[in-house]
Amino acid sequence: MSEARFHNPGWAGNTGEFELSEADVRGSEYAGDLPPEGGHPSTAASHPFMLVERDPDAPLFEGPYQARFEKIRGRYPTAMAALLPTLNLAQELRGHVSPETMDEVAALLGLSSAYVRGVATFYTMYNKRPVGRFLIQVCTNISCNLCGADEVLAAFLEHTGTELGDTSADGNFTVAEAECLAACGFPTCVQINERYFEDVSVADVPRVLARLKAELNGGDAAPAPE
Amino acid sequence: MAYPYRHEKETRVLSEGFGDPGARTVAGWKNYGGYQGIARALEIGREATIEEVKRSGLRGRGGAGFPTGLKWSFMPKDTRRPHYLLCNADESEPGTFKDREIIRWTPHQLIEGCLVGSYAIGASHCYIYLRGEFFESTRVMARALEEAYEEGLVGKDIMGSGVDIDITLHVGAGAYICGEETGLMNSLEGRRGEPRIKPPFPAAVGAFGMPTTINNVETLAAIPHIARHGGEWYRQWGTDKSPGTKLFCVSGHVNRPGNYEFPLGFPLMELIEDVCGGMRDGNALKAVIPGGSSVPIMSADDCRDCTLCYEGVEAAGSMLGCASVIVMDETADIVKQVRRMAYFYSHESCGQCTPCREGTTWATQILRRIEDGRGTEDDLDTLIEISEQMTGTTICVLSDSLAMPIISSIEKFRDDYLALIRRGERMGAA
Ligand SMILES: Cc1cc2nc3c(=O)[nH]c(=O)nc-3n(C[C@H](O)[C@H](O)[C@H](O)COP(=O)(O)O)c2cc1C
Ligand code: SF4
Ligand code: FES
Repeated sequence: MSEARFHNPGWAGNTGEFELSEADVRGSEYAGDLPPEGGHPSTAASHPFMLVERDPDAPLFEGPYQARFEKIRGRYPTAMAALLPTLNLAQELRGHVSPETMDEVAALLGLSSAYVRGVATFYTMYNKRPVGRFLIQVCTNISCNLCGADEVLAAFLEHTGTELGDTSADGNFTVAEAECLAACGFPTCVQINERYFEDVSVADVPRVLARLKAELNGGDAAPAPE
Repeated sequence: MAYPYRHEKETRVLSEGFGDPGARTVAGWKNYGGYQGIARALEIGREATIEEVKRSGLRGRGGAGFPTGLKWSFMPKDTRRPHYLLCNADESEPGTFKDREIIRWTPHQLIEGCLVGSYAIGASHCYIYLRGEFFESTRVMARALEEAYEEGLVGKDIMGSGVDIDITLHVGAGAYICGEETGLMNSLEGRRGEPRIKPPFPAAVGAFGMPTTINNVETLAAIPHIARHGGEWYRQWGTDKSPGTKLFCVSGHVNRPGNYEFPLGFPLMELIEDVCGGMRDGNALKAVIPGGSSVPIMSADDCRDCTLCYEGVEAAGSMLGCASVIVMDETADIVKQVRRMAYFYSHESCGQCTPCREGTTWATQILRRIEDGRGTEDDLDTLIEISEQMTGTTICVLSDSLAMPIISSIEKFRDDYLALIRRGERMGAA
């Protein structure tokens, strides 16, 4: 390519080549976590529901999560409408939505288990089984594909030593294929848990993985030096 | 350099605040003239607001291009039953990445659009249906909405007007079909996101069985400007049939992909050559999909005199859709890309209609066979036949959305298909 690579200034969680920092892009106050009990009921379900830390046996719902569940439940005219946000909340806590979780959510909302299962299986973002600490989803749809997404996907599989859809032996990484993530101008786009990594090339893959490992070890999220 | 997706030729109405983190606060957004649109709407009243939007000629930016003011006027005038406004922020049409940019840079622009829209159609509750994957945009939106509530811009008695409008963020969970308007309504209600048979139309029976209007993010983002400056003002840009400005999301083989805002009617080749810095590696242009993956593919020839407005792209044999311009150079493998699209649509088909469920699956398998060198020339006829059966026969247009790229690619790039078929035959014979 003739010019230097052209990077999206968006918070890409990328490896730091673009000129704006994450704080510049999001505003420093946006980078912080939202309160666990949620703020205004209108926004209470808008947390990322794919986190590194999760407990498959966490109770539904206690403490601040109970507060959030009630806010969610209260803002719709029907209990049924609270179903998706409640499943989101359950996945945020437990990391995946097992059949047992579906049953519990059904009981909470007064719906039948069969109904909840039918709905939950319609949506791809509910992990029906446990996934790695980092769920790496590589967009291979058209715009990314034209710019080498298949190779980026192959590189993630190679460097994590996994097969498509499987989790690495250390439980850290699950690599999957994603459909268009609405970041098509910044190919390849890779969604890792709740973050987008944009402009990812094959050469970036080891650095991205090194950064994720550093985060697991409690290291700061600073990009590796060039 | 703050925000690199800029070009001096742009006309920035919607994208003026892009790249300025300050625009995400109420105070910052007011520096851009924010919240004056809703103030004026409240002053002139419901009917007059709808009239301004009609006068502007604004057409829906979610793909279909339906006139927004007209859509709003379908809502019943009697507001004793609740009315709803739904903002479609499920952006998942491959190639499209404009709504995410609007939400994460100018959340108040969208909030204000939702307020004006809700007020105009007599809705006291608006749901913003955000795509589940949009974690970051959702957080930005949540912050902005919290602040708007604190400032009395949203909620009870907005801006002291006596009008109540609540806005709720509703986060989806991954399904392309939830972007279809009635699929979105089912999903909001806590059901599988399966499109509904129309009629009844949403303005009569929509979300929770109530009169409902649904608009795309970019449509609603244009509303505060129209409410503030009037419909005539908006018509200073664009063409008679396609007034105003539009975000063009350019992706693929250009040097500077990104979101660029221009008046509708902007020449396609100027966008590619000039604004986007030309083709990557100096390669030759091969094809363009001008409106997201669901529209017919254009050859380089079709592109030459194409202007980017609804009627201009139609004259060039395709559709403007959401103006997601996917550019392919001579290295692009058309058959592979069409197969990838077919896979996408078969994956995302909700399965209610046989032509769609079966057609998308069969088309994917046949395309895969051709790609692997096991195809025959008859397969091309079969593909066209399947595609024709998939057109106009189903509840929603997802099915048609795959038929169009298949038919157009076979028409325009038959040689690409034949080359794979011939190579396979030679290898089989050897
Ligand atoms: C399969 C399918 C997917 C769609 N996806 C979206 C989408 O992601 N975002 C969107 O705004 N409109 C989408 N639409 C269009 C909507 O049905 C609807 O026309 C649009 O939201 C109306 O808003 P507008 O009039 O402001 O354009 C989709 C339509 C179909 C058939
Ligand atoms: S056309 Fe396809 S996606 Fe649309 S309703 Fe029918 S089966 Fe579902
Ligand atoms: S095609 Fe990859 S993000 Fe849209």
